[in-house]
Amino acid sequence: MTTCTPADTTTAEEQTRLSAVRLLAGNPVTVVSAIVLAVLVVVAITAQWIAPFGVNDIDVPNALRPPGGEHWFGTDELGRDIFSRVLVAIQASLRVAVVSVAFAVVVGVTIGLIASYRGGWLDTVVMRVVDVMFAFPVLLLALAVVAILGPGVTTTILAIGSVYTPIFARVARASTLSVRVEPFVQVSRTMGTGHLYMLGRHILPNIAGPLIVQTSLSLAFAILSEAALSFLGLGIQPPQPSLGRMIFDSQGFVTLAWWMAVFPGAAIVVTVLAFNLLGDGLRDVLDPKQRTMIEARRRSG
Amino acid sequence: MTRLGRSPVLVTNPVVRFLARRLLYSIVVLIGVLVVVFALVHVVPGDPVRIALGTRYTPQAYDALRSASGMDRPLIEQFFGYMGSALTGDLGVSFRNGDPVTVTLLERLPATVSLAFVGIVIALLIALPAGIWSALHEGRASDAIVRVTSQFGVSIPDFWMGILLIALFASTLHWLPTSGYRPLFDDPAGWLRHVILPGLTVGLVAAAIMTRYIRSAVLEVAAMGYVRTARSKGLPPRVVTMRHTVRNAAIPVLTITGIQLATILGGVIVVEVVFAWPGLGRLVYNAVAARDYPVIQGAVLLIAALFLLINLIVDALYAVVDPRIRLS
Amino acid sequence: MRTAVGIVASLVMTLSACSTGERVDLGGGSSGRLVAAIAGEPDQLDPNKTSAYFSFEVLENVYDTLVEPDADLQMRPALAESWQVSPDQLTWTFHLRRGVTFHDGSPLTGEDVVYTYRRIIDEELSNADKLSAVTDVRAPDPSTVVIRLQQPTPNLLTNLGGFKGMAIVQRKNVESGQIATHPIGTGPFAFESQKSGDAITLKANGSYWAGAPKVSGVIFRFIPEKSTALSALQVGEIDWTDSIPPQRVNQIKDDDSVNLAVTPSNDYWYLALNEARKPWNDMRIRQAIAYGIDRDAIVAATSYGTAAKNQLAVPKGSFWYTDYNRYHYDIEQAKRLLHEANASPQNLDMLVTTEYPETVTAAQIIADNLAPLGITVNIRTVDFATWLDEQNSGHFDMLMMGWLGNIDPDDFYYAQHHTNGSSNAQKYSNPEVDRLLDAGRVETNQDARAGIYRKAATIIGDECSYIYLYNPSVIQAWTKDMSNYDARRDKAIRFRTASITEGGTQ
Repeated sequence: MTTCTPADTTTAEEQTRLSAVRLLAGNPVTVVSAIVLAVLVVVAITAQWIAPFGVNDIDVPNALRPPGGEHWFGTDELGRDIFSRVLVAIQASLRVAVVSVAFAVVVGVTIGLIASYRGGWLDTVVMRVVDVMFAFPVLLLALAVVAILGPGVTTTILAIGSVYTPIFARVARASTLSVRVEPFVQVSRTMGTGHLYMLGRHILPNIAGPLIVQTSLSLAFAILSEAALSFLGLGIQPPQPSLGRMIFDSQGFVTLAWWMAVFPGAAIVVTVLAFNLLGDGLRDVLDPKQRTMIEARRRSG
Repeated sequence: MTRLGRSPVLVTNPVVRFLARRLLYSIVVLIGVLVVVFALVHVVPGDPVRIALGTRYTPQAYDALRSASGMDRPLIEQFFGYMGSALTGDLGVSFRNGDPVTVTLLERLPATVSLAFVGIVIALLIALPAGIWSALHEGRASDAIVRVTSQFGVSIPDFWMGILLIALFASTLHWLPTSGYRPLFDDPAGWLRHVILPGLTVGLVAAAIMTRYIRSAVLEVAAMGYVRTARSKGLPPRVVTMRHTVRNAAIPVLTITGIQLATILGGVIVVEVVFAWPGLGRLVYNAVAARDYPVIQGAVLLIAALFLLINLIVDALYAVVDPRIRLS
Repeated sequence: MRTAVGIVASLVMTLSACSTGERVDLGGGSSGRLVAAIAGEPDQLDPNKTSAYFSFEVLENVYDTLVEPDADLQMRPALAESWQVSPDQLTWTFHLRRGVTFHDGSPLTGEDVVYTYRRIIDEELSNADKLSAVTDVRAPDPSTVVIRLQQPTPNLLTNLGGFKGMAIVQRKNVESGQIATHPIGTGPFAFESQKSGDAITLKANGSYWAGAPKVSGVIFRFIPEKSTALSALQVGEIDWTDSIPPQRVNQIKDDDSVNLAVTPSNDYWYLALNEARKPWNDMRIRQAIAYGIDRDAIVAATSYGTAAKNQLAVPKGSFWYTDYNRYHYDIEQAKRLLHEANASPQNLDMLVTTEYPETVTAAQIIADNLAPLGITVNIRTVDFATWLDEQNSGHFDMLMMGWLGNIDPDDFYYAQHHTNGSSNAQKYSNPEVDRLLDAGRVETNQDARAGIYRKAATIIGDECSYIYLYNPSVIQAWTKDMSNYDARRDKAIRFRTASITEGGTQ
């Protein structure tokens, strides 16, 4: 095995990254979903300013108007503009999703890194606990947490975050384990490099790929989970608009005002689909196993 | 290892050992779940007994319910007491109406099982052919269609789909009822009519997830050497597919079916609420709204137990089917 | 592998085939039973203790009172065939109908009546103040009940029979503790079973004193989701429901398969501000709120044109109606009043419940209405049991609720606005109103009585003990196959004469 100096590794990594971006850009589906997500992020940041009406501007005489004119998505049973509410609700959903997944990433990756790095009984115990959490139906756990600690945004974030922590712990651990045994890592340790340096320089860049993929996919599911919790009345509380709750409220009006159910639902589908497609596209590029599989298939025809 | 008389097959059989390990593990997990739920329930502010009594509050009723539910004893004692009675099937009494929790859970179980079963059957009926077909036509337009459709399916919130299905088939076309449940043996036609829409709601989303897995499972198997060898021997492609690919993809299909079934059990709450389905999920939801802690505890425990049971069964079938497991 | 799948499959099929036991008959052999869908589950079935309308929907068919209102809300004989009043108006003698039995076969006697009333009075149950003038009740013989009063009580009959809260219960049933879950009454239907979260089943009482019912039983299903109940009716799964979304009323009018009734009722919806908390104890601030809300919007959004706006409790059409229109939607006036009172409340904790979605809808409108006054309304949505708890312990700034089925003006005002009223959760106290309400209880001249209540109501309205909103209509729908049933103004659900022609539902 040739001596690996840091300089060599960097160049190799850079080269990998470059071709990754090119691969990504070549896949139209991924590009489109990235654009859609960019638009959604812009919406999430600017929702309050671009919304044409206030989210709680009640206008009972104009209740249940179909889409058209001033109200692009129509109005609900209190005369509120659905388009504005959907925009602000997207903002709220994305906020919850991002914070919960961020929580899950930080806590999960830390746990996974420490566990695999230290090894030994700590590793076993931590992974058993992670397995337990993994073994549990997601919504049920989130429901139990939120229901008992009280409904609201904070507990929702906590619930969704803790439910998705195990998967990041596993991803981090799996990637770390495979890297730990790499010769260049062993060599560095012998040379006496500090732990943090090791983590920063060798391990993190290698787990970055699968981590990014998993983040995108988890964001998708976090949005679905938040929508389900809000639907049940346990998530974002009224009068703050939330996509799940808007769908819940639309149930009594579905034969009179289909737009009350369709638009919030469509917003969820578009957002989640975009995250899923992006995640898939990223996985095809960043996850070495997937990449090898695809290349192998292409070659064998 | 020399055989002296009758060898203790049970103990040395690797499959049995494997299963025994998994069983033990499941029990530990179940206890862990119980600890977590128990802890959460007792963290809540407010007096659950008082809230549960509501209008029926009298000092006597309060004391009676409090001592009956054991809430006046220290926490550790309560926990072990609960565990002990749980082993004999006594999960306490509902705060709302005094019915024994175990009875209520067993009453609601058939409805949820019906739903999960119909859901998974619909899912398999769609996902198996779609996944296999898509894998066989990999890279072509038909594959793309299946992939896009399943991506779509994974991105739809199940409660939204349920509401739209109701709006179309029940409220507008009046073909099917909007809600309710009929037990199978009492009224088979009614059972079918009522279970179709919720079953579809659960099944379509599960189908989307499973199609992707089955597709990639078939692809992986197809890429493996022996399939290419078989083809090079001159066997017609269809024979190769049916015999080798499917049989070897059976393991991941089994796994994903088991996982999906277990997931459905946990996620069925929302669908049951949309369809007013009298199952475990809706029970949990109502119990949560009414702060009926014994019911919440019991229901979570039961669902977790079912979840672990299904995983155990999948593991068992797995071990039987895949010789590699036995050796590990 | 195949055997395993086979075993699993048959296990599953067996489980899903498991019927729910003998407790509730959901399909198949329930021919001749009427299936009614109500919007919620009774909290308990003891008529003297419960105050939930859902309970009374069921209990109306299980119990009787001494007298009961007819379709025009005039009191008619029920368990009591006739009665006399002494010249000094202080002694009422009721002669009980003979041959009336409880559902378990035991005969109804005067002792049961005495036991019921004594229980209500001594244990101070929810309707105790209906009997506040009673000094003694006794049964000199099994078919006579004598009630002695401390003052003339013109509305004694409505007190005794206006609704089933005063139903005659059986001592054994109460003392065994069974009454809350297995009530035994004298009514047209006997309690058979209850499946929590699903339905209550009643079976016909063949020996009912007014004649056996024409249907073999009634199944009360709990369907809180209104559109679900309506769809079930339209599809033919149920025969009757009052769980109807008001926004669909216009659609249903055109539906030939159902009968729709939209009848003015004697219910009313109101807002109450907690006078035990500052600053709501200041009348001017309460009045500011009364001027600050848009009643038209609230009425439109909660009832879709089916309700009647009203700033007092008694509805138009009643002899006791008072025309009162002091408040209108005027933010400037509200601001002026707040300024006068030198107050600027920032937060208002509004207690509403999911059990009654109209409260949630109205709360959102009110929050929007009061924002310009600088008041942030925090809407607290809880389940009904918690709502009752919070109301009774005074943990709220404002709440919205309704009272149902009132007949006599005393029903409309006493318990809620008298200083010692049993339902005065807002802690309103005005000695003048107390005096008037007490006087109204004993005034036997109808016109004078009307005048007293007009005065009292006006003060109550002016001082905003309640901020009244509207009188909702009774909205019920039932299948065209059902006859001899009509919606009542007092919202009592009586199935005793209903019949279903063949070709109806299960």
